[in-house]
Amino acid sequence: MTLIDFVAKNLFRKRLRTILTVVAIFIAFAIFGVLATFQNALNAGVDTASADRLMVTNKINFTLPMPIAYVQRTRSVEGVETVSFANWFGGYYQEPKNFLVAFAVDPQTYLDIYPEYVLPAAQRQAFLGDRASMVAGKVVADTFGWKVGDRIPLKSNIWRQKNGSDTWDFTLAGIVTGETARIDTNFVIFHYEYLKETRNCCGDTFGWMIVKTKSPKVNDSVIKTIDSQFANSPFETETRTEQAFNKAFIEQAGDLGFIIVAVVGAAFATILLIVGNTMMLTVRERTNEIAVLKTLGFTSRRIFGLVVGESLLLAVIGGAFGVATAWLLSFALQNATGGNFGPMTFTPGIAVWSFILMGLLGLLTGLIPALRAMRINVVSALGGK
Amino acid sequence: MGRMLTQIIAVTMMNLRSIPGRIWTSASTVVAVAMVTMVLLAFLAMANGFRSTVQGTGAADVAVVQRKGSAGELNSILTREQVSLLEEAPGIARSADGKALISPELYVVVDGIKKSSRTKANLPLRGLGALAGQVRRGVKISSGRMFRSGTNELVVGRAVSRQFEGFELGRKIRLGTQTWNVVGEFEAGGSVFESEIWADVAVLQGLYQRGSTVQTLRARLVSPESVTQLKAFSDGDPRLKLDVQAENAFYAEQGKGMSDVILYLGWPLAIAMSFGALAGALNTMYASVDARMREIATLRAIGFGGTPTFIGTMTESLLLSVIGGVIGALGVYVFFDGISAATLGSNFTQVVFSLKLTPGLVLQGVILALVIGVAGGVFPAWRAARVPLLAAFKEQ
Repeated sequence: MTLIDFVAKNLFRKRLRTILTVVAIFIAFAIFGVLATFQNALNAGVDTASADRLMVTNKINFTLPMPIAYVQRTRSVEGVETVSFANWFGGYYQEPKNFLVAFAVDPQTYLDIYPEYVLPAAQRQAFLGDRASMVAGKVVADTFGWKVGDRIPLKSNIWRQKNGSDTWDFTLAGIVTGETARIDTNFVIFHYEYLKETRNCCGDTFGWMIVKTKSPKVNDSVIKTIDSQFANSPFETETRTEQAFNKAFIEQAGDLGFIIVAVVGAAFATILLIVGNTMMLTVRERTNEIAVLKTLGFTSRRIFGLVVGESLLLAVIGGAFGVATAWLLSFALQNATGGNFGPMTFTPGIAVWSFILMGLLGLLTGLIPALRAMRINVVSALGGK
Repeated sequence: MGRMLTQIIAVTMMNLRSIPGRIWTSASTVVAVAMVTMVLLAFLAMANGFRSTVQGTGAADVAVVQRKGSAGELNSILTREQVSLLEEAPGIARSADGKALISPELYVVVDGIKKSSRTKANLPLRGLGALAGQVRRGVKISSGRMFRSGTNELVVGRAVSRQFEGFELGRKIRLGTQTWNVVGEFEAGGSVFESEIWADVAVLQGLYQRGSTVQTLRARLVSPESVTQLKAFSDGDPRLKLDVQAENAFYAEQGKGMSDVILYLGWPLAIAMSFGALAGALNTMYASVDARMREIATLRAIGFGGTPTFIGTMTESLLLSVIGGVIGALGVYVFFDGISAATLGSNFTQVVFSLKLTPGLVLQGVILALVIGVAGGVFPAWRAARVPLLAAFKEQ
């Protein structure tokens, strides 16, 4: 019988207690996995931001417009490689509850600046060639069952056509997939020119610019140049890195990071106690046996290893089930939210963290009982009988 | 019957007196239940605070007029002509000199720096019409004074100066190209308005290139019923065809969204954690029964029934979970109740609200704790009730 067999045999002597403890660990790790997946979704925009991309918005607030002349002026700034721009459409499909993240964009430069949006060459050609066409991210197309070539009317809660209608008709020219699973494809884009010519107001103004710099090293100087050249104009700008912009955007919702950490913390503090206690009980009940092992020549170190091994095994069994469950739930969450919070991806990082936590949990809960077991005095343990 | 009662009391007391002997196991159950209750109640208090702030906003006798299908004030637009037409509409209250009590308003978003995270967040800057003071009655300037029309003065809601930097009375604040003077702070009964910044609509029209258009119109109604009259008037005129709603109804609709999201997060998390705590409670109670095997069997041998042993164990489990539930509720009350938070409301701007614990919510938390106590007690109690007499002689 190897040491591991011995540990496993011990573990299942009190089967019910072990199962209950494993359930508690399982729950904590499932909560951790699901919340980490959720946080991944929220942070997708921050984590996948490209270091050489900047966002230029109206300084007062990003909901306010900028004149089209800014695009040319920004293109001539030293260190700038590409400039694209976009306008919020306030779009929805059929009913207001089918809210869409829809942008009117400068199509060619927009696709160039976001190489992580993968679009087959033929679809790209079709999109660029037809001003009344649009491209949808895979998440959106899947949600509404859109196929390439479909005629799709989109409504806007902001803009009106010159004839007073709130509906624009589009042909779906293509479906964008993400280069990786973490790329958010919850969006619809179409030609800015089409919106500009059909809407009843606002002339040649748009919402924000996306600037690709020659290298992240020149970001600071590009940011300064852009903002200072528009200073003291009626439309002052604020330029930030894409990452900083996305981070500020998420934080508008409140300190979600804190809430997630607090809940996970509460869950782990709880199981730490539950598991720690179970291990204490176990060691106390086995005082005699441990004394026997010692008389048989087991070193204190070995005894320590036996107890910690048992708590580690508990943590890993419960934790592995929890991680697997969270992984499965991540797909269900993606479907349930329709990508509205961002792509729910269970990344390998979450699994790695889970196993690190299992290790810590096993060590922490096993430590005190193991020390106690080590110190058991053979004479007093057996002599009392 | 009387004998049964004495037995129940005797066994229960024995159970409770033995708790100190298993203090750590028992404490772990209490803490586990307390954590579950705390997580649940913190979420419920958050959802409740947000909802009551939003739904407590707006008066029944004020109408909000917007363009149809705007989904919020931010996207609405009304022309000068439409505003003039509405001035003559029936159902709108009038001042002593016969002016319609309306306030044509602009609603633009500006950046404020959140004190908590030091990041930028959307704040609503609302332009008010000249008669706004008579239209919006629930508002009180708590310090300083109202802005003067035609100037770059503004007043800020109480929540804005609490949560965002630079809005203290007397400060100058730069929003875009304009420098504004903060001349007053107002209270509006803890409503969403306290998360807004107010200035003169005519000044905003000039600064934001809005010409003579506004976004929405608030109108004081003769009575709450007049809203139907105003609606009929708007529907009957092809130049209008606007969305007319009582202000309280308008906000009642908006309160749901975010608070539902919070509830959808809070309940599943609390329920999942409950299963963890339940596992802990079961372990504790089984340990309690195992530790007293011989004692219980002895009791049975001298004629105690199964029922008292069952009830004794159940009571112990319920007591532990109720203590946990109460500690959890107290924890939320001490650490979270009344703390101020801000999130994005349906108008794409920040709504500042306070976490609000109510007796009804505490009851929900304690019920969850009791459910854990019952489920965690019933199986061990069942085992206790069926301890074989032989166990009295078994070596432990």
